[in-house]
Amino acid sequence: MKCIRVDRIELAPDARIWTAQPVTAIDMVATPPGLQPTAYIQNSWADRPYGRITPLRVAAIHDGEMLAIRLSWKPVGGGNPDFPDAAAIALPVSGDPVLGLMGAPDAPIHLLRWQTHHDGGELIRSILAEGIGSTRPGPEIKRRVGVRRHDGLIDIVIARTLGQGAGAAPLLAGKTTKIGFAVWDGGNEERAGIKAFSGDWIDLALDA
Amino acid sequence: MSTRQVAMVMDLNKCLGCQTCTVACKRLWTRREGMAHMWWNSVNTQPGTGTPHGWEHMGGGFKDGEAQPGHRPTVSEYGKAWDFNHQEVAFGGKPDAFLKPEGGDPGKGPNWDEDIGGGEYPNSNYFYLPRICNHCTHPACLKACPRKSISKREEDGIVLIDEDRCRGYRFCQEACPYKKIYYNELAGVSEKCIFCFPRIDEGVTTACSRQCPGRVRFVGYLDDPAGPIHKLVHQHKVALPLHAEYGTQPNVYYVPPMSPPRLDAEGNPTDEPRVPTEYLVSLFGPRVVEVLEHLKAERARAAAGETSEVLDLLISRKWLDLFGPFTKHPRETEGAKLSHAAKGAPL
Repeated sequence: MKCIRVDRIELAPDARIWTAQPVTAIDMVATPPGLQPTAYIQNSWADRPYGRITPLRVAAIHDGEMLAIRLSWKPVGGGNPDFPDAAAIALPVSGDPVLGLMGAPDAPIHLLRWQTHHDGGELIRSILAEGIGSTRPGPEIKRRVGVRRHDGLIDIVIARTLGQGAGAAPLLAGKTTKIGFAVWDGGNEERAGIKAFSGDWIDLALDA
Repeated sequence: MSTRQVAMVMDLNKCLGCQTCTVACKRLWTRREGMAHMWWNSVNTQPGTGTPHGWEHMGGGFKDGEAQPGHRPTVSEYGKAWDFNHQEVAFGGKPDAFLKPEGGDPGKGPNWDEDIGGGEYPNSNYFYLPRICNHCTHPACLKACPRKSISKREEDGIVLIDEDRCRGYRFCQEACPYKKIYYNELAGVSEKCIFCFPRIDEGVTTACSRQCPGRVRFVGYLDDPAGPIHKLVHQHKVALPLHAEYGTQPNVYYVPPMSPPRLDAEGNPTDEPRVPTEYLVSLFGPRVVEVLEHLKAERARAAAGETSEVLDLLISRKWLDLFGPFTKHPRETEGAKLSHAAKGAPL
């Protein structure tokens, strides 16, 4: 997947700049039931469908300072209000982490996770993961989000500064890194490891 | 596994349903934002659907050691915290106005079936069932949490939620078969009874037990042979867990309620208790039959002028005997002294 260099990124998902970018349709899959971290979760979701959101349509741009990823998907859940729709991008910090295992102590993963707060505000959290169930607050990095819901679709733009260091996954113009994706269908009560994800890393080549 | 287990015994023969325990807990622990619907301590009339409504049919717990799927109670199932039209009634100038919950259909409150009970006249019957988190030996909530946010204290087995780790996934609510975990929507975390651990740490018993005017609640360690819990649970064997079949090994025990005789069609007393034994068996298991027989025999002994160690224990003539090693007054704690000092008040 290419990350195109532009003059200035836009956070609004319906900004004109996004219509000119190539869109990659990512095939999403449900996280394996056997990888759910507790027997309760495995048993209670054994006969319940989850992780059905696919494809996830992705476009990426950067302006030399900020990288912006536009995600678009159609929720399929039953409308339960207890849990919010959510999505995350995952980037390897160091080592060679396995996306499906949420990294390891010597190979952490940095996530930027969006959800709508109960007060209506849009939250974008920086999270560090070193294994399933291990997530903790990640590095303080400049990050922003834009959200648009329309015609049964959710479009969001997640943006963060380019660069590296202090626990943040390296994102450098002219370099290629890996990226992964996850989507939680709130209406289907999806949370924690109950989600759709991209299965494996996808190469993300940033224009110089 | 904890090295010791603090536990509670509630004597249902003495509970008068006054909710003082409920209010003591509410004032101490659940007054922050997002906690209006929380009753870490609740008292419900039995037979009844309890709080949350129908909790005994919401699943969770373990069967043959396997974690069972459970329902996550809604706020309306817990019972909404109503706002009443006090202003309208007191100052609205409408003589016909009456006190009612505001905001349309109020639904059910947390204690909506109070004193309804069961049976038909003249055999109507009810008793009160106070409930807190059972601080189980095998907590289903702890096992269900993918964040390892729930722990059981090594020194006394109190089960606590680490709100810094909790992400509000609420698997614990589903897994708890007693439905004694609440969700704070504003804080985005699950919250529950903490067995007043800051008090326990200082040798002060829980607020619910200390405030109980009926001397219903005993507190202490299960393995303390000198304490009331060990005596009632293991020595005299008159205290039983609630729904032991849920498989979590709860650490709150109940002395089951005795009741007057059931009356026959002519109004004559029979040998059957008014609270149906099969109902008590459904709550406390088959051993409830022998416990009630034992208590009956002990009462007969006492009535005949003999002494009964177990009845003396249950009567608890000395209030502080209820609390095992937790007999300190709250004002004698280090925290209270600091608070007084901060206010410039004399200790």
